[in-house]
Amino acid sequence: MMLDLRGVSVRLDGRPIVHEADLLVDASEFVALVGPNGCGKSTLLRTIYRALRPSAGLISVDGDDVHGLSWRESARRTAVVAQETPSELDFTVGEVVLMGRTPYERVPAADEERCARALDRVGLAGAEERVYATLSGGEKQRALIARALVQETPLLLLDEPTSHLDIRHQLEILHLVRELGVATLAVLHDLNQAAAFCDRLYVMSAGRVLAGGPPGQVLTPDLISEVYGVRAVHRTQLVFERFKEEP
Amino acid sequence: MTSETRQAPATATTAGRPRRRGGRFAALVVALAVAVVAATWLAVSIGAVHVALPQAWGIVADRLVPGLVPRTWTPVQAQIVWEFRLPRALLALLVGAGLAVVGAVLQALVRNPLADPFLLGVSSGASFGAVLVLILGASTLGGLSLSGAAFAGSLLALGLVYALAQRSGRLTPSRLVLAGVALAYLFQALYSFVLQQAQSGRAAQQVLFWLMGSLGGARWHMLPLPTVVLVGGLVYLLLQHRRLNALTAGEETAVSLGVNVARLRITLFVLTSLLVGVLVATSGAIAFVGLIVPHAARLLVGADHRRVLPVTALLGAAFLQLVDVAARTVNAPQELALSIVTALFGVPFFLWLLRRRSVDRAVTVA
Repeated sequence: MMLDLRGVSVRLDGRPIVHEADLLVDASEFVALVGPNGCGKSTLLRTIYRALRPSAGLISVDGDDVHGLSWRESARRTAVVAQETPSELDFTVGEVVLMGRTPYERVPAADEERCARALDRVGLAGAEERVYATLSGGEKQRALIARALVQETPLLLLDEPTSHLDIRHQLEILHLVRELGVATLAVLHDLNQAAAFCDRLYVMSAGRVLAGGPPGQVLTPDLISEVYGVRAVHRTQLVFERFKEEP
Repeated sequence: MTSETRQAPATATTAGRPRRRGGRFAALVVALAVAVVAATWLAVSIGAVHVALPQAWGIVADRLVPGLVPRTWTPVQAQIVWEFRLPRALLALLVGAGLAVVGAVLQALVRNPLADPFLLGVSSGASFGAVLVLILGASTLGGLSLSGAAFAGSLLALGLVYALAQRSGRLTPSRLVLAGVALAYLFQALYSFVLQQAQSGRAAQQVLFWLMGSLGGARWHMLPLPTVVLVGGLVYLLLQHRRLNALTAGEETAVSLGVNVARLRITLFVLTSLLVGVLVATSGAIAFVGLIVPHAARLLVGADHRRVLPVTALLGAAFLQLVDVAARTVNAPQELALSIVTALFGVPFFLWLLRRRSVDRAVTVA
């Protein structure tokens, strides 16, 4: 099991935000975490990448308790694409991507090579010298995914990777992540997208993980009305797909 | 995937910004080093007693290796250059480099382009500590030296700003600037009070001049401490340049990249407080250097601290050297306070920066 959460509880400023969450992500699995605003899904994700400490429970990545590992070692196991964007300072795309090598010794030539390959993989080949701040929203998100790639971790965490993107770029990012073949846990907002892209998903509500499993089994009208307070209706709907690009 | 069709030549420059690696950086460092030496040479020869450039060089060489060059100068000239101008010029380099580096580190640390020792109240805190010692005497502060009191004041100010700007364990830029500005006023009020209570008006006036920044008191014995702190600090920071870069990208990003953020932060806070304390104790509070020099350095070499830190240090050193020359000559024989001159250069540059970049965005986004 790549990621294994057992009875994880998290408090923020003394307030309980997450209660006894259990969650599993297997190697090369794409797992989505959904739930209404404020249900604690981002908090849970932040606890996995050690921005927060759990008040109870165990989080293990690739077999070890992450909160017992050195900072360096946990960063060699888990990469994150969060919503937070780099600051106003003018880093180039290459510099942003190379930050992914922070937990490793610097090996200049090999690292440049890794950077070029990662940028190629996310469709930003040759963009090393562009200024990150001048990229479009979709390009920024792809650059951050490239940064996560050069971190060469077996686990990838995504916190709403498609927010602020238009529908075409949302699909691009999700396809890209799916094709990486890395164990991935993604906080997603859109239930339809979560259902379309993930192998399994977990639903959180009021700090608890209510259900987990394949989307077809979990996203029942009953559960959705319980969690979101809306009625779910199956009906024929507009389906968006990427155009296949001409070779 | 269609990566083949998208592939562009790996060397393409797509954003209209020239490549800024390797050779260009080395050339820039050499050019700045030459500028630092030239400015220092100029500073040593200019003044009420004129010393020609070759003579100034000869005096220094003669002191280091007696008899190396034929003596073409008077003993008075030699004394002025060696006893007063050279230590002053060297202190200008140390203070300029140090304040600029502190600015660069604070800007990374708090992720705010407006951060500088002045705006965050650190300089005011250091000044308050120093004023207490100068006016009331070291005994009132338990025998703290001037540097020690300035350091304690800057650490106190930085700690308070840091504590006030936190919200749920996260720093918010807007609160940070507001807390810094408020504390700067508080410490200014405190040392103004101490100044008003001071017995001798003359002492108060000297302190006031010193608070605006002056290198007039520079002597050889004042140089070792700032040199050690600056060189040690710069070496440490250069070793940490990747962690500084990660921290600039955001606290949580730095955590996810394997940086022990809590420890790095504390180290950087102590280091910057120490530097500001030591520098303020020698030269008073000099405004704007820490704010504008790092921005100028980033315009030249981008945001990577491996390049930003050395360029910031050299640029700061050369800048303050020229500022001090201007402060000594513009209104001779009266000397201008350094903050007056740095503000005359700094404000126009800052306004230009304000137009060029959306600094306001960084302040308002919480």
